Amino acid sequence: MPPFLKNLFAGLRSLLRKQGADREMEEELRSYIESAAEAKMRAGMTREAALRAARIEMGSAEAVKEEIRDAGWERAIESLWQDVRYGARMLRKSPGFTIVIILTLALGIGANCAIFSIVNWLILRPLPISQPKQMTFLAFARGGSTFDNQFSSSELLSIREQSKGVFSAVSGLAFGGSLGGYSGPDGLTVDGTTSPVTAVYVTGNFFSTLGIRPYLGRLLLPSETVDAGADPVVVLSYRYWQTRFRGDPSIVGKQAAINGHSVTIVGIGPRDFLGITPIIDMQAYLPLGMAPIAERIRPDLLGDPKARILCVLARVGSHTSMGQVQAAVAVIGERLAKQFPRPREETRLMARPLRPPGFLNGGDPLPVLSALFLTLAALVLLLAGVNVVNLLLVRASVRGREMAVRAALGAGRGRLVRQLLAESLLLAAGGGIGGFGFGLLAAQTLRSIPLYTDVPLAFDLPFDWRVFAYTFGVALVAGLLVGIVPALRATRSDPTQVLHEGGRGSTGSRERLRGVLVAAQICGALALLSTAGLFIRSLESMRHADLGFDPSHVLNLTVDPNQIGYTQAQGQAFFRTLLDRVRTMPGVVSASLVRNVPLGDDSFAAQITVPGYNPPPGQPFSSVQYNVVSPDYFRTMGMRLLRGRDFTDADNASVSSMAVINQAMAARFWPGGNPLGRTFALANNSARSFTIVGVVNNSRTDAIFGSFQPVFFQPLAQHYSPVMTLQIRSAVRPEAMAGSLVRLIEDLAPSMPVFGIRTMAETLESPNGLLVFELGAEIVASLGLLGLILAVVGVYGVVSYAASQRTREIGIRMAFGARPPEIFRMMYRRTGWVLVAGMCVGLALSSALARLSAGFLVGVKPLDPLTFVTVTAVMALVAMAACYVPARQAMRIDPMEALRHE
Amino acid sequence: MSDERAAILKGTLDMLILKVVALGPSHGYAISQRIQQISKDYFHLQEGSLYPALYRLENRGLLEAEWRATDTGREAKFYKLTKKGRKRLETEMESWERMTEAVALILRTAE
Repeated sequence: MPPFLKNLFAGLRSLLRKQGADREMEEELRSYIESAAEAKMRAGMTREAALRAARIEMGSAEAVKEEIRDAGWERAIESLWQDVRYGARMLRKSPGFTIVIILTLALGIGANCAIFSIVNWLILRPLPISQPKQMTFLAFARGGSTFDNQFSSSELLSIREQSKGVFSAVSGLAFGGSLGGYSGPDGLTVDGTTSPVTAVYVTGNFFSTLGIRPYLGRLLLPSETVDAGADPVVVLSYRYWQTRFRGDPSIVGKQAAINGHSVTIVGIGPRDFLGITPIIDMQAYLPLGMAPIAERIRPDLLGDPKARILCVLARVGSHTSMGQVQAAVAVIGERLAKQFPRPREETRLMARPLRPPGFLNGGDPLPVLSALFLTLAALVLLLAGVNVVNLLLVRASVRGREMAVRAALGAGRGRLVRQLLAESLLLAAGGGIGGFGFGLLAAQTLRSIPLYTDVPLAFDLPFDWRVFAYTFGVALVAGLLVGIVPALRATRSDPTQVLHEGGRGSTGSRERLRGVLVAAQICGALALLSTAGLFIRSLESMRHADLGFDPSHVLNLTVDPNQIGYTQAQGQAFFRTLLDRVRTMPGVVSASLVRNVPLGDDSFAAQITVPGYNPPPGQPFSSVQYNVVSPDYFRTMGMRLLRGRDFTDADNASVSSMAVINQAMAARFWPGGNPLGRTFALANNSARSFTIVGVVNNSRTDAIFGSFQPVFFQPLAQHYSPVMTLQIRSAVRPEAMAGSLVRLIEDLAPSMPVFGIRTMAETLESPNGLLVFELGAEIVASLGLLGLILAVVGVYGVVSYAASQRTREIGIRMAFGARPPEIFRMMYRRTGWVLVAGMCVGLALSSALARLSAGFLVGVKPLDPLTFVTVTAVMALVAMAACYVPARQAMRIDPMEALRHE
Repeated sequence: MSDERAAILKGTLDMLILKVVALGPSHGYAISQRIQQISKDYFHLQEGSLYPALYRLENRGLLEAEWRATDTGREAKFYKLTKKGRKRLETEMESWERMTEAVALILRTAE
């Protein structure tokens, strides 16, 4: 047996049979003493005297045994266990102290746990596919960090052909709904009920490229590809199957319909798989060949090299480096650009890693946001930790005697430090468990926030092993950090001195340390509060921003006749009847239809040309937003018609195309002039020319911040869109109208799904509205509040402890004639400097954090003077108040009492 | 007993114990006595260092132990050299001799 193994076994044996080993040791030592005594008796001593002498010579049998035990490695573990047990005993002895510390740590650790679970959800979790690091998507780089990731079917084939050397598989996918120029969910009919579903159309090798297996049934096959309508099958996502069908396995094999077209449900995707992003559930997967049929688009669309509707996913071969990939892909890109010219000059084709949260076009703000939030959470933990250090220090000075006694009895300093560290690690373990609980609670609260969107956002913040490991890693580090300083301090002093002086050693360095702790708390709390202030100010500025419409008393309901297979004529007829019927309902002030609800899930843009307008060089077309509305839309939304007229029921397909534009569009293309009667045309179809019949005020479209974009509105009767939102302005509470409206729609079209039922005020809180800003502000404000509380408690604790330590000094001073105000000043002078120092460092830290937050603030400058002045003032007041109570108590001390103290 | 005397060079204690045990199996007290006698009272071996060393050597398989009766009829734990222990003793003695020679050489030359 190798020596180390033998050593290991011997150690394990002695750990397991500790008592046996102990007894043997004892026996051996006794036999030693007896041998020694015999020798002494031979030299003429009496037996008693000899035994006594031998024992004295040997010293404490326990000490010898300790030393013997120290020889083996098992000793280390055993003493660790002892430390832990002893520590637990000490903590049980003062339950109040223990609970306060564990709670404080739990709050700090919980904040970190919750924030980390968000970061983990957003960007850290890899996709649940095989070898996620090999997955890439292809895109032409554009200016800045934007790119173009849309390819035509022919381009996909060409890429697949040319990239065999570097990619092991190349597949394509197209998002449903958007294919025909519309966006929005598709309709899945099962057993006569139609519900919205977010569908993607994929090449047959999509699932094999990702390397995933079905939960039930089968996934799509490589043979199921592009032939129009050849493979009427659909695979549902696990999540959709669970929510809609409650995991009913008989769903597999069932006949269903997508947008009214018959398909068979062949399988359910794997459990955690949400598609190519971990945050949005792609609910149904169909072969690409089903797209022209189900989405009602021209059947030759997939063959048209100009129709770029596909995202291209590629798996890097296992022995290929990213360098080789990029070189090969760049060459392919050049060839593609020659073979299939694009309207815009594209630069280099690149393979980008398919990392969560998926393909974000433009700069990715998430790493910065994550860093910011994690920093703030770390600051909260710092504040909690400082409080705990302070408590432990107070206790360490109380326990100075205990430590001194143990040191005098022969415990080494290392052993004592280890003992105290074991205690703080126990506390941290408790804090870790509590923190995990707080984290779960916080995540639960976040999850329950209503999202007000029809996009299947998977806002589930899963608590996987990463969150677990992070939380307990944080707890471990916190335990070591808060434990080490008090442990070193408690064991530093000379035992004889402590035992003689009753714990009153030199206080200079202790005072200094306390100052540093208070300054650190002020600094951390200031940084947290100022960041919270900025986020809140930013949210407020958006809340009070001019929307350009009146969101109160408006209810939205969305319908999509396409989901039940209505033709355009049927759809138009349905919308006309719907409006007629709704307008006669009691309580309805005004009713209209709109394609894209402001701040809702979608917004459209079009390239236009305007006669007489000279576009800037290099941009032959101008991009503007557009929307499709019925008559009365501006009235329902409370917008103002500035010139011309609204659409009427007479503005239908039989008259020439017309548009109402907003002020921003009028100012951009007809500055100073009258746009009424002027025309503009679509860039890709110059035959589609619009005559302007009205101008309305500017209003919010796809974002709640930024400058108003140019927008034109076209009448629904001239431009059919199946996905329309019915909007009611009501005299009563708009929510109260929902029931009768849904019944009315059911009456008109029994199987028509109605979704997106929410008030306009709720829509403002949607992901494209205030949601992200509100979430951000809420999270940062909670952290700030937590930080403030911890800092107040901490500062109060430190100062009042310092005051209690100085009771005697204060008593003497007062006995010598110091007046209370002088004592008061003295107490404040000490802490005053510490506060000022903490504030200065805190302001520096705040401005660094403000720079980090700059990208997430709207309507407020990162170094907003109001925020900084207010927060500094609040902090100063709070700190002074925290000092006031202990200082007052010190002032009131009766000199005789103080001197008699101790 | 002065500190100077008590200090056995670190690393040599194991060798001394091995050497003494090599003379014949003996128990802890006997080992310490013999080291004291042979060194003419130069080394006083404390139990606090003797027993940890004995346990260490036993753990490493250089010594083996059994309980036996002493001459006076009491039970004691007797230590005996293993084959490995004997080999280790030889190599340690060799390297010790080479080292002391080298040290002596330097000291002489330096005179």
